[in-house]
Amino acid sequence: MDFIEKTLHLFLPRASNNHKAKILHPSGLLVLASFFILFQAVLNFIPKLGPSILGYASQISPDEIIRLTNEKRAQAGLPSLTLNGTLSVAAQSKGNDMIIKDYWAHIAPDGTQPWSFFTSAGYRYRYAGENLARDFSSASSAVDAWMNSPTHRENILNSKYKEIGIGVVEGDLAGVDTTIIVQFFGSTYVDNIAQPVAANNPINDNPTIKPTIKPTIAATISPTSSPIPIIAIASPVSTVEAIFTTSKIQQFIISPFATTRAISLSVVGLLVVVFLVDSFFVSKKGIARIAGRSFAHVSFLGMIMAIILILKAGKIL
Amino acid sequence: MKSFKKHIPHYISLFAIFFAGVLGFYLFSYDKSFQIGVAIALAGSYVSWGIIHHVIHKDIYLSVILEYVAVAILGLVMILSLILRG
Repeated sequence: MDFIEKTLHLFLPRASNNHKAKILHPSGLLVLASFFILFQAVLNFIPKLGPSILGYASQISPDEIIRLTNEKRAQAGLPSLTLNGTLSVAAQSKGNDMIIKDYWAHIAPDGTQPWSFFTSAGYRYRYAGENLARDFSSASSAVDAWMNSPTHRENILNSKYKEIGIGVVEGDLAGVDTTIIVQFFGSTYVDNIAQPVAANNPINDNPTIKPTIKPTIAATISPTSSPIPIIAIASPVSTVEAIFTTSKIQQFIISPFATTRAISLSVVGLLVVVFLVDSFFVSKKGIARIAGRSFAHVSFLGMIMAIILILKAGKIL
Repeated sequence: MKSFKKHIPHYISLFAIFFAGVLGFYLFSYDKSFQIGVAIALAGSYVSWGIIHHVIHKDIYLSVILEYVAVAILGLVMILSLILRG
C-alpha cells in the first residue's frame, strides 16, 4: 500500500505533491539528472574494476571500406584507389600500436609519426594520408562519418593518392573493447611520374596529417632488391589482430553508448508520458497552479529525443 | 491548449530554436565540439524562452524558472553524455 502511494505521489498530480507529479518538480528532475551522472561515472569506473565488459560490437570489413571509398571517389569523378598490401601492413601496424600503447591520436605519445609506419612497412611514399575511426558498428557508418568531415573527405577525394591500405584492429582502448579502423592513403614516386605539378604542391594539412615530399629515398628501401611483402587481399587481418579478437570470443560486451542511449530514451519517454498525464489531470480537474508550460516541456523533451536518435557512436580523427 | 493558441508566436520561436538545434546536430555530426556548443546553447535558449514567455504572461516565479532550468539541465546531461560517449 505504501509502495502504491509513493508511486502515485511520484507520477500523478495529487494533494500530497501540490497537484504536480513529484518527478516533475525541479527537485525530482535534478535527482534524475544526478542519477544519470552517477550512472556515467559507474560506466567510466567499470574498466578499473577488472574484467573488460564494455565495448562496441562491430562488423568492419576492410574490403567494404575500400569499396565504399572507391564508390565515393567514383561519384566525384576520381579514379579508384588500388589496394596495396604494404599499405595495409602499415595501417595494421598503426592500429596495433594504438592498442598496445593505449592512445587515440595521429601521433603516438612517444612522438612516433604516422609516416614512420609507412616507411617501416616498406612503402616509399611521395604523398601519404591517414584517416582514423573507432567505435563504429559498420564500415558504411565509418565512411559516412569521414565523408561528413571536410578534412577527412578531402583525403578520400584526393586525386594525388593512388593506393589505399586498411587496418582493422580490435582491442582494449582505455578499458573499452573497441574496433579501430586505420585508413592509409599513398602514392609512390613511380605513381606520380606523370604529375610533376604535385611536386610544388605538397599535401600537409591536418587532421589527415600528411608528410612533405621526401627528398631522398631511404637507403634501406629498395623495391627491386627487397620486394615489398604482399598481403592477400581477401585476408588482411594480421596475427596481432587475431590475438586481440580471440580473447573476445563468447565475452559479454556492454556498449557504453548504446546503454546510455537506451536509458536516455527511456527517461525522456517516461517524462513525456508523465507530463501528458499531468496536463490531462490538471485540465480535467481545473487545477490552477504556478508551473511552467507542460506543452513547452514536452516539446523540449521531444527535441532531446530527436537529438538522441540522431547521435551515433563512433569517433573519427 | 488555450494558452498555446494565445501564444502562438512564442511557440513558433521555440520551435524555430528546436529546429535549428536538431539541424545543427544532423549537419555537424562529425564535429563534437560544435555539438557540445549547440547543446549548451539549446539549453540556455530554452531557459531564456521560458523566462521571457512567463514575464510576458505575467506569471513569472522562482519555482517556474527553476522548473525550466531543471528540464534544461536534464536534457543537457543526456545529450552531453552521448556526445562524449560517441
